[in-house]
Amino acid sequence: MKIHRSLLAVIALFLSIGCTELVDRSYDRIIAEQFDATDQDLASLVGSAYINWRDVILNWDGFHRAQELSADQLVIPARPNGWVDGGVYRRIHEHKWTSDEGIVVQVWNRAYAGITNCNRIIYQIESNIIPIDPDALESTISELKVLRASYYYVLLDLYGNVPIITQFDVPVGFLPEQSSRREVYDFIVGELVENVDHLSESNDQSTYGKFNKWAGYALLAKLYLNAEVYKSEAEWEKAIQAADMVINSGLYALEASQRNVFVTNNENSKEIIFAIPFDENYVTEWNAFDLHMQTLQPGSQATYNLISTPWGGICAIPQFIDTYDPDDLRLINGWIQGPQLTASGEPIIASLGTLAGQPLSFVNEVPGIDYSEEIHGYRLGKFEIKQNANVQLSNDWPLLRYADVLLMKAESLLRLGNIEEAAALVTEVRERNFPQNPEKASVSGADLLGGSNYSYGLDNRQENTVEGGDDIKFGRFLDELSWEFAQEGRRRQDLIRFGVFTTKSWLNHSPNGDDKILFPLPRIALNTNPNLTQNPGY
Amino acid sequence: MKKTLHALGMVGKYYLYGFFLQLLFLNLMHAAPTKGQSSLDIKKVYLSLDLREATLAESFNAIKKQTDFFFIYDQGLADASHPVNLQVEHQSLEHVLLSLASSHQLSFKQVDNRISVREHKRTDKQNSVMVEVTISGTVSDPNGEAIPGVTVSIQGTSTGTATDLEGKYSIVAPEGATLVFSFIGFETQHIVVGSQSVIDVTLREDMASLDEVVVIGYGTQRKADITSSVATVQSEDFVKGGVRDAAQLLQGKVAGLTVSTPSGDPTSNSQILLRGNTTLFGANANPLVLIDGIPGSLNTVAPEDIESIDVLKDGSAAAIYGTRGTNGVILITTKRASGDYSSSVDYNGYASTQSILRQLDMMNADDYRQQVEAGTRLPSWDLGHDTDWMKEVTQTPVIHVHNLTFRGGNRQTNYLANVNYRNFEGIFKKSNNETLTARADINHSLIEDKLNVNLGIIHSNNSYITTADGGSFNGYTYRQAIIRNPTAPVKTEDGDWHEQTSLFNYENPLARLYESDGENTSQNTRLNTKIDYFPTDNLKFSALAAHTRYDQVRGYAETKKHISTLRDGRNGYASNGTTHTTESLLEITGEYSNSFNNHNLSVLGGYGYQEFLFRENWMQNWDFPTDRFSYHNIGTGNALREGLAPISSYQGVSNLISFFGRLSYNYADKYLLLASVRHEAASQLYGTQKPWGTFPAVSGGWRISNEQFLQNSSLVDDLKLRVGYGVTGTQPSDLFLGVAMLGYDRYIYSNGSWIRTLSPIQNSNPNLRWEEKHESNFGLDFSILQNKISGSVDYYIRRINGLLYDYDVPAPPNLYNSTRANVGIMENKGWEVMLNFIPVQTSDFEWTSSVNFSTNSNRLVSLSNEQYQATQEFFTTGSTGEPIQTFTHIVEIGQNIGDFYGFKVIDIDEQGKWIYEGREGEPVNYENFAHAFEDKKVLGNGLPGYYAGWNNNFRYKRFDLGVTMRGAFDYQIINFQRMYFENPTLPQYNQMRSANDLVFGKAVLDSPLEFNSYYVEDGDFWKIDNVTLGYNIKVSKDSRISAARIYASTLNTFVITNYSGIDPEVNRLGLNPGIDGRDKYPSARTYTLGFNISF
Repeated sequence: MKIHRSLLAVIALFLSIGCTELVDRSYDRIIAEQFDATDQDLASLVGSAYINWRDVILNWDGFHRAQELSADQLVIPARPNGWVDGGVYRRIHEHKWTSDEGIVVQVWNRAYAGITNCNRIIYQIESNIIPIDPDALESTISELKVLRASYYYVLLDLYGNVPIITQFDVPVGFLPEQSSRREVYDFIVGELVENVDHLSESNDQSTYGKFNKWAGYALLAKLYLNAEVYKSEAEWEKAIQAADMVINSGLYALEASQRNVFVTNNENSKEIIFAIPFDENYVTEWNAFDLHMQTLQPGSQATYNLISTPWGGICAIPQFIDTYDPDDLRLINGWIQGPQLTASGEPIIASLGTLAGQPLSFVNEVPGIDYSEEIHGYRLGKFEIKQNANVQLSNDWPLLRYADVLLMKAESLLRLGNIEEAAALVTEVRERNFPQNPEKASVSGADLLGGSNYSYGLDNRQENTVEGGDDIKFGRFLDELSWEFAQEGRRRQDLIRFGVFTTKSWLNHSPNGDDKILFPLPRIALNTNPNLTQNPGY
Repeated sequence: MKKTLHALGMVGKYYLYGFFLQLLFLNLMHAAPTKGQSSLDIKKVYLSLDLREATLAESFNAIKKQTDFFFIYDQGLADASHPVNLQVEHQSLEHVLLSLASSHQLSFKQVDNRISVREHKRTDKQNSVMVEVTISGTVSDPNGEAIPGVTVSIQGTSTGTATDLEGKYSIVAPEGATLVFSFIGFETQHIVVGSQSVIDVTLREDMASLDEVVVIGYGTQRKADITSSVATVQSEDFVKGGVRDAAQLLQGKVAGLTVSTPSGDPTSNSQILLRGNTTLFGANANPLVLIDGIPGSLNTVAPEDIESIDVLKDGSAAAIYGTRGTNGVILITTKRASGDYSSSVDYNGYASTQSILRQLDMMNADDYRQQVEAGTRLPSWDLGHDTDWMKEVTQTPVIHVHNLTFRGGNRQTNYLANVNYRNFEGIFKKSNNETLTARADINHSLIEDKLNVNLGIIHSNNSYITTADGGSFNGYTYRQAIIRNPTAPVKTEDGDWHEQTSLFNYENPLARLYESDGENTSQNTRLNTKIDYFPTDNLKFSALAAHTRYDQVRGYAETKKHISTLRDGRNGYASNGTTHTTESLLEITGEYSNSFNNHNLSVLGGYGYQEFLFRENWMQNWDFPTDRFSYHNIGTGNALREGLAPISSYQGVSNLISFFGRLSYNYADKYLLLASVRHEAASQLYGTQKPWGTFPAVSGGWRISNEQFLQNSSLVDDLKLRVGYGVTGTQPSDLFLGVAMLGYDRYIYSNGSWIRTLSPIQNSNPNLRWEEKHESNFGLDFSILQNKISGSVDYYIRRINGLLYDYDVPAPPNLYNSTRANVGIMENKGWEVMLNFIPVQTSDFEWTSSVNFSTNSNRLVSLSNEQYQATQEFFTTGSTGEPIQTFTHIVEIGQNIGDFYGFKVIDIDEQGKWIYEGREGEPVNYENFAHAFEDKKVLGNGLPGYYAGWNNNFRYKRFDLGVTMRGAFDYQIINFQRMYFENPTLPQYNQMRSANDLVFGKAVLDSPLEFNSYYVEDGDFWKIDNVTLGYNIKVSKDSRISAARIYASTLNTFVITNYSGIDPEVNRLGLNPGIDGRDKYPSARTYTLGFNISF
């Protein structure tokens, strides 16, 4: 019996030392309750709200794709190695997208992720969870609000009628209300106007990749420039004022060569006002910056000695390429064309499709969205592809740049009738692109009043129609934007502002209704928030 | 007392009358890790007694001191009995009990190590004097061997005798009386006495012995007492030859348990699916595997070292294991040491080889040249050689397995040691798997047998070649062999591998094998100890502690001739990695059992604590100065120095805390009850509101055959109705989902340098809780016609409430647009039927047969709860891979899991373009087909509706033949091989010959690769799987060899199916079952020769 008792005692001991506590040790993440932030963590904490811009702009099915594949410059046709992908690129090209498309869902999610991050950090600063130097308090909060406004700008442009949320500590079950596109516009402009002057006025390493005062004004100019689209009421004078704030700062200048803006190490360019930094070693999300992978053919790996074989898809729509002046350096430098050679100068042989075995030479011809061979279509070369590049490039993405500010001002002047001043600005931007033929750089006010050089109309192996671009008001100015900003993820916005997006045909695209000016709200967003109403036409 | 006798009468068939002993046969190999490591077979337990004028109580105590058994008896009975005088020298306990039974009119009943004692009063009136004859004869088994100790009694009387050592008996019986021949493990025979004086009897082995013991977790139960759905497979019924792991032993043997081996990779495990899928994001997607009561894996012990496997199928059985039992429990019982053993040695070994089950019919060099001639292929594709790429990458593998088991010791201390060596080569070159496992198990009893100590150690070393980074074989290499141009040479004239680096996704498969080099080696060590303490006869305390440690070291390298350098400029590549896991377990249980009158009661309570640790690190590097160092000198590469190569480590710790209890009760062996409850918390739920979950279960049984009205039925031997209900759970697989977490996330450029951001990394969900599976099981066990036909029928409904799912939530206000929450309800329903037959049974020839059949339907009932509402009615899953790039499956509320979702082909046009079915069912030609989500339709389902198995064993004299067959029906497969290789528009990759056939007899296909219904095929199949022919070599009695057997066996022998792919048995796990992928290790057919010998 003695043993019996002692055993019971042992059992009781086991139970009392208890092992009834759950393990709370984490080795890869920090349990938030156990974390006390210090000053050293500030940059890490605040910086996280900027990351979402990377996702928004370039990650797979991002803002870039939404703006470009729906427009008249770029296309992803079916390739011998794929790119049908369930017909998604064709639907975007033909304006037949649904509320489940990747671009519809992803841009929404990523932009709102940025907004929520801003809301969260503002909340954490205001409730002292993140300690901050009182001197930096106002500028930090303002910077976050401007950053938040920039994410709302994406939503405003793509979806229009979206919910505005500025709070983080909402009650459980809180569902935001939808705002009209005009309300969203007013909100963004209000936030910018209220906060830009608190931002840093420097343009140096400390503000690179962040919103300083000038980036804030450049964004504000962008809002005013599109005000007629966003709220049916033009704001050309305000656009000029905002652009002038940037111009008069004297901190920015055009690069002598446009190419310098897009080189691998472009982080010191004086032309860049707001950049989204990328780096092959630090920004390694698979699709972080992989336009080169999406555009080059597998054989092109040998041209650049790429670490991975490119996937060969996206290319220029031939009708657009045809609008270029053949001497324009932006055509020559910005598009990969003609016979493709290895780094050591050997011709590259096509390996896929019916032309396999023949030399790979990119021609300005695309049979259609539904069919193409390796050779078809000029490839995206505006951003430098460095030798031995990885899947991720290191080039920073210039979201707002000085040429854009000049041309925003020019467009506003043009629309206000001040055509010669506008022409002078356009000429200023053009000059660097015609070193051999300086006379071609010069543009007159009368030129800008002309139509577009783009020969709109269906242009594919099944069907060809002629619509032309002569009837486009300020079409020549639209062409100027297309040459200067091709591949930069903004064509849709420009086409809408010039009334082309839902009225003209190109390649396999025919107009599919004015409602396509707005993308639908993602089905998933409607399903999770009953306060939301779908945009008209979907 | 009258009641008791009545009850004894009720169980009639299984008790022997009069002064004979009723005992329960216990296969000693089944002994659970209870006290029963020592012998529980009273025929094999020997003792010496010298009892003079002893009381019954003293006698029982004397026996207890020398054996593992204790006695349960009524004190009154012991006091009233006359003194015992018994002197025996090294006699079996059986013999002793027989003597006592006869001298004191007692009956004994043994359950585990308990022997209950009852008075057996003679109530049967002796018949008046009739014509009596003396009958004699011999009782033998089907092999003709004499059986000593067979009880021969006269039905309805207490008269009887037993056979002697030569199996002979003699008894005086009245004419017309019925002689009953009974012996444990054999079927009882009834023979009416006529005028003959010699009656020789052959007893058949009892195939459906109800006295078998079934392992039920924290103990055992008589099969007769089982109230839930439990299946037991003994080693003699296992699948034989070339099996990879423990699960494959059960392939096709258990209704409702689907074991498949979709991969031929010698390092891959079988897939197990028990009664369908139960979880999407839970930690426990597979059955809990316990090896002698301790959690482990299917590879913890060698298949040859396993004595039996019990499968707890339904919730009422598994609920004692709480959270880990949701997908059922597989209890593996190894061969155990026990009792008195003259030292014995068993060796069995076999050698196997394999061939690929089936090959795709790809174009060969001649086909290419014909196409060039016909102008359908550019001449540049003819590279002038003739290479059979599959032949180049495959080999005829040699597999050999050796298993050696020693047993020895005595009743007080005994041991078992096992050594197992397995050397598997695969059908692909440079693929293998080599394992050496050693196990020792030692039992010792002390303090007058009040304390039993068991010590166990299992250690295994495993290693295999890797030609994939961190993995054994890369299925992509197989794809490369399939798609490679058959006119291409293996090597160029310069002796280099022939490569065409500009072709996308196109690599020389042999270069992939021979320019890569790697090895994964691991060791697994398990130490365990168990202490059982018996303070009184009715009470038992146990403490079990186990520690398992697993360590893996990986190394892999690619030379500068590998495509990673030729094409991707790596300039040599290497990686190293280690994985380390430990698992500690402490279990303390107390059990009280007693029997009084007809009440048999056992109560168990316990506490369990488990802690898991997972740790890993890995590194990569490239740009090496030389290939010479392979992966052994990773620092010589430059990439790490240049900041290009990644390096990583991780550690995670979790624990699981449990309290559990069980009550088992039966009344008069007729009414059975088992109830259990487990209260459990898991660290995955740390910080949530309710980390503790309670999982109750109750099951009841009614042994109808023990009721009066069936007592004397000549038809029914046994009939039992079972009903059970049990709740089990699963915690989320990820840690810390309940609380807010901060993570060092992606980099941001800040003030001239890249810094890590620190941000929340998930939506916290403090309401997170256990997934709960509520399972009801209705079952019927029966045995009729002297056990010639026996079986069971089960129907189950499993409803998983609070199914974890990544629920879409609005963001903002949420940080992320999905939150893992308990929102879903999933349901599995099905029937399981198991039938055993003995169609023929003579002394020379015997045929036993067993059929199993099961159905399963798996439905997602709901994906919302009070907090999370609405959202879409479906989500999509599965992936075709590049370049088709779309999902393959849809999971829709109210529908079955496993539905394929894609475009539906109606026809093909003259140009070879698909004509699809439009949204309204109308035909739409290819150009006008939008290819939108709305254009997709359900094209089939990858989960079989029903499964069947049919196992046959034939024995003719010393030959035996076993044939295992199984099939799965009513399901479809997406044939990725056809989808990718049967499309003639891709000349850069080799195609199946059928690519140029007319589709629907109309046109050669000219549409791009697409996932559509044309590639969905019926998967129904019937496999003649395991065929084993054996011969038992006759050994002379005085030889040192006690048994010897040779056999030949095949696995995956023959498939009957309309499916055109390699093997219709494809992945059935997860949410996207039924995909026959193009990157794989095709399954193989195995041929084996084996030899067993015992000394």
